[in-house]
Amino acid sequence: MTVYLFIILGVFAILSALMVVFTKNPIHSILYLVLTFFAIAGEYVLLNAQFLAIVNIIVYAGAIMVLFLFVVMLLNLNKETEPHKSILRQLIAVIAAGILLIVLVGSLKGADTMTIKPFAQNTGYIENLGQVLFKDFLLPFEVSAILFLAAMVGAVMLGKKDIK
Amino acid sequence: MLGDLKTIPLDWYILLSSILFCIGVMGVLFRRNAIIIFMSIELMLNAVNLLLVAFSAYHNDAKGQVFVFFTMAVAAAEIAVGLAILVVVYRNTKSTDIDVLNRLKG
Amino acid sequence: MNTLIILSALGIIALFAEIFRFRKALFPLILLGLGGAFFFTAKEYNHPQIFLGMMNFDNYAVIFSCAILIIAFLWFMMAKNYFLQETSVTDHFALILFSLVGAVVMVSFSNLTMLFLGIEILSVSVYVLAASDKSNVMSNESGFKYFLMGSFATGFLLFGITLIYGITGSFDLASIHTQVAANHDSGLVIAGILLLMIGLAFKSSLAPFHFWAPDVYEGAPTTVTTYMATVVKTAAFAAFFRLFSTCFAGVTGHWTDVLWWMVVLTLFVGNVSAVRQKSVKRLLAYSSVAHAGYIAIAVVSMGAASTSAILYYTFTYSISSISAFTILFIVSRHKGSKDISAFEGMSKANPLLSFAMTVAMLSLAGIPPTAGFFAKYYVFLTAINAGNTLLVLIAVIAALVGIYYYFRVIIAIYFKPEQQLVPIKVGPLHRTVLIITTILTLLFGLFPNLILGWI
Repeated sequence: MTVYLFIILGVFAILSALMVVFTKNPIHSILYLVLTFFAIAGEYVLLNAQFLAIVNIIVYAGAIMVLFLFVVMLLNLNKETEPHKSILRQLIAVIAAGILLIVLVGSLKGADTMTIKPFAQNTGYIENLGQVLFKDFLLPFEVSAILFLAAMVGAVMLGKKDIK
Repeated sequence: MLGDLKTIPLDWYILLSSILFCIGVMGVLFRRNAIIIFMSIELMLNAVNLLLVAFSAYHNDAKGQVFVFFTMAVAAAEIAVGLAILVVVYRNTKSTDIDVLNRLKG
Repeated sequence: MNTLIILSALGIIALFAEIFRFRKALFPLILLGLGGAFFFTAKEYNHPQIFLGMMNFDNYAVIFSCAILIIAFLWFMMAKNYFLQETSVTDHFALILFSLVGAVVMVSFSNLTMLFLGIEILSVSVYVLAASDKSNVMSNESGFKYFLMGSFATGFLLFGITLIYGITGSFDLASIHTQVAANHDSGLVIAGILLLMIGLAFKSSLAPFHFWAPDVYEGAPTTVTTYMATVVKTAAFAAFFRLFSTCFAGVTGHWTDVLWWMVVLTLFVGNVSAVRQKSVKRLLAYSSVAHAGYIAIAVVSMGAASTSAILYYTFTYSISSISAFTILFIVSRHKGSKDISAFEGMSKANPLLSFAMTVAMLSLAGIPPTAGFFAKYYVFLTAINAGNTLLVLIAVIAALVGIYYYFRVIIAIYFKPEQQLVPIKVGPLHRTVLIITTILTLLFGLFPNLILGWI
């Protein structure tokens, strides 16, 4: 059962990811990307990481994709125009990605041989994650506040009109 | 349903996220529309997240899943800044095609 | 830790300066704060502290933080006047201070999470700063390219971190070191190390991942370019070396060959492209790429002396760069052009500018008695000790090409007929910066042990 679910969700994720890249209309691309995120969230559930599955949907599909949609509509970009088409470059892109894939898959084969600990049900539970986040990862958690502050100040600075 | 997690080999997760990652890389190289390039980068980050969660579950160690929080935080911050830059570019050039941006050459 | 707290607090104070209208007081406050941060950082020398298992403030971290703070101090003195013309000066200063937090994290991390966050804090701030000249399309384009390439590189970096986590089950540098040594022939280790290296090579502009650098450096406002060429580069190499020397020193066979070729390519591309440039800004951009190649030689030939060689190189390179970019900034504002021709015949009317530029160019080219000579000398020494004689030979040839284009600027200053005898006005702050950088360049060239003895 789990195996079939994995395969279905995986194929679904790959197909919609391909559609993200190949669809002409940016709005459709965004919607396909949301589908991909849902499929990936499904994989998280299979891995018993329910909390991350929910967070993935809320943060990515909910917040980030809405931001994308907002910008596309704000700038009125939902046209299917892409003037500069170069077959050569597209060919190079496909070949480069293909080579990268072959290299990655080739070198990553056999990871199963590494020591795998017995399965514990509660690894991805929210209580467990909270313990790790606020004990072991307290400092990165605090430092990421600076990251957000910098991003916020930067976005506002770029967005606002200069008053001379 | 979740008890038989280890019936799926870890290799499959590595394969799936490698494929998703490479689709993202291909999108960055393939498309000229900046918005779609951003989305391809998001796809790459999500492929990495999937792999982190898989490793975390197979190692039985929550650190990998906590790291995913940080990649999500970084992705959100990057996108906020990136879209702000994109809007500024659009204001001046009326285009999001990255080939229009070729004033710097030499 | 004190450094991080002071810098973050300064950044927040800078934001409040706009609301409470003490913009005038902000600049002295920042210089004071940087001095305080320097003092508290230097006090931790020889008192290594570990913070929550995430940051290890050892001597390496202390020395590189101090170097970064000194460079930032000079940078603020150089950039003050440029940003005062902007309306959002406080935002600029706040972003720079936040990015300094990222730089300090990058030199002191002991966990990959902190490395990742440090790189991102630094990059996100600099993306915005590169695009900060909003009405200028060149600046927009520069920030945009930097953002695209930077976040693309982040993807690779993250994939590498994930694979390393997959094989070792940890993000902690010490346990990664032991686990990697135990599983050294696993495909995950090799792929992880190479992907991490690609990510970091993007950030430190090593060829073939350097292609964004010239465009971004040219388009960004000159002060921001200076920041990228100095602080960002120093932090990137400090992080690169810290990661690879603590985690992957036991498996050098997996990555030194690849890095070797990257260094050769960087030296070739950087120096040969710089020869063709008319614009001094673009010339300095390519020269910055080439210098990344020289610094990476010390990473390839990892040994006991590499740390001090990298410290000496990045610090002296940053000081000479600040000098060169300051003069470029002054001259281009006066003449409205960044070409070499703008420098022609300025020696008679502007002896200080001409002398400072000559010293900076000599130092970048690596001619004694300037600091640049010993910088190259120590880097080459590490390579010879590690048996990389061929690499040294290639680097020496590259340095000879470098002498050619640096001397083009000097020749333009001294031996071309003067176009105008009007002295260029130099503000007191810029004058101070130039005097300090010139003296430091000569001082470190005569007494290299002033820096080398610390690590």
